[in-house]
Amino acid sequence: MTIKNKAYITETALLCCSGENEEQLFQNICNQNSSISTDSSYFNNTPAAIGKISSDKNFFDNLILKCEEILDKSNLETFQDTLLIVGSSVGGIAITEDIYLKNGDYKNIDPAYHNIHAIQTILETKFKFLDGVSFSTACTSSANALGYAHEVLTKGLYNNVLVLGVDQLSQTTVGGFLALGVLSSQPCKPFEINRDGMNVSEAIACLLIQTVPNKDSIEICSVGYSSDAYHMTHPHPEGLGAQSAMQNALLQAKLTTKNIDYINAHGTGTGANDSAEANAIERLFGNIPYVSSTKSITGHTLGAAGAVEAIISKLVINNQTIPTSTNLSHPENKNINLSTQNITKEVNYVLSNSFAFGGNNCSLVFGKIQ
Amino acid sequence: MKINLEILNAACIYDEKEISELRTKELVPKMVTRRRLTRAAKIAIYLANEVDFKIGRVVYGSGFGEIPATASILKSIKDKEHISPTDFQNSVYNTAASYLSMLYENKNEIMTISSGDNTAKNVLKMGAIKALDGDEILLIATETLNIPNIEEVNSCLQYLECGVALKVKVTQLSPNITITNNDFTIKIPNSLRELYFIAKEFDETQTNIIEIKI
Repeated sequence: MTIKNKAYITETALLCCSGENEEQLFQNICNQNSSISTDSSYFNNTPAAIGKISSDKNFFDNLILKCEEILDKSNLETFQDTLLIVGSSVGGIAITEDIYLKNGDYKNIDPAYHNIHAIQTILETKFKFLDGVSFSTACTSSANALGYAHEVLTKGLYNNVLVLGVDQLSQTTVGGFLALGVLSSQPCKPFEINRDGMNVSEAIACLLIQTVPNKDSIEICSVGYSSDAYHMTHPHPEGLGAQSAMQNALLQAKLTTKNIDYINAHGTGTGANDSAEANAIERLFGNIPYVSSTKSITGHTLGAAGAVEAIISKLVINNQTIPTSTNLSHPENKNINLSTQNITKEVNYVLSNSFAFGGNNCSLVFGKIQ
Repeated sequence: MKINLEILNAACIYDEKEISELRTKELVPKMVTRRRLTRAAKIAIYLANEVDFKIGRVVYGSGFGEIPATASILKSIKDKEHISPTDFQNSVYNTAASYLSMLYENKNEIMTISSGDNTAKNVLKMGAIKALDGDEILLIATETLNIPNIEEVNSCLQYLECGVALKVKVTQLSPNITITNNDFTIKIPNSLRELYFIAKEFDETQTNIIEIKI
């Protein structure tokens, strides 16, 4: 298929535990200022270190406010000519939990506000979109949403796409990851030899993707997909699926490994993910590009992670600054180039990884406009 | 923009409660894998076999996802019990598509989308857009709503387990199947409507073409 247009991230808006906006988040990442904290309220009084948004507003009211913010910043008057692509792993499950746990039955649950589509349903009370679709591939949901935005824009099918990565903390996710035994009771330590798990977190990340750039835009150069076809929750230990996704992204962008200046790793802090991902990066890139995970600051925002980390990738390129790794003093894999301080250097291309349950892998390459 | 898709093969299956003829034991010989499968995964595996698709890109859709696992998790939370790790790993929307990829070692791009009542329509749109690259793609959608007390939220659906699969590729030939809104005599979930209609219209003795409006 002929590439008809390029895809540019023109505007962003964000809310997560470590920032009310993009600049605040990047400052906190560079200053190693984590807002991950211990909370026992989410599952049977069991303490877990989680990343909760600090706000006096309802989560979905904040979502509408962030969409209004991105519309105000943009060159659009409405979203009527914009395709909405949502990435979420849980959709409206927290709404369902509230009703079910209060009433003990399903009677007052509105299916329209239960499923993944709930996010679009809520937004359509305020905005009109050209069309909409939601991706739900667990922790790659919004990375895949960005990949699809790249696909429909470069194929010349749309001119404006609003990608939202949205996941709210819920008892289901906190209790579920506790059941899998992968939650840490302290801020996570991605790629550290004695890491002990991940931090579940929540976020709203909005990206307007258009075919015409503005002065601060970066390009979504490519997307690479793969499936592990190995296990529902464990990545292939050698990171074969991760490697394949990164290779596919490089191939589509017509870049080599030497072109990548920084890899924003999936880096959850779990034993299985980080060793598999480090193996894949080592095999493909050696120790050339800088690597870090920003989840020790943001936590793992699950379905929103790809969108959050796309915004971080844009900030890395706009600021020409590679962020340091937080909570990393003894890396397990010494053959990859994990950043140990903030580094100001020329950054032309960033690769961002997202991996998920079911062995679903997505790598995105972002580039400075040349 | 309009994209024409050739329907290379089609299958659908449904039951008011639980589909009985999924041939899971035959299609998934390893018991260790078989016993973890969700109902949606079993339906997806059955349908993929029916349309003879093992390796390639997949677009999977479900309006409600893995309702039995989700309901079991909610009950555990209500009863202040631990959540089953299997229920949790099987509660993500991409569960069925993931088990399908593992069974056939399909390492290609596998997408899962959900758009409420528009799920089937969006599976068709996404499938058409991806098919522009020239490969054969599996479009598949399931709903598995057969849980205790589902009548508390369901008063209209007759068939609680349903699945549809189409194997498609892009074509320049003219369409000969038209989706209309008036041809539904059974109460399947709206989230599967357009896919179900195409599967019902599929005639293996002729070339079957559908036009997808993007």
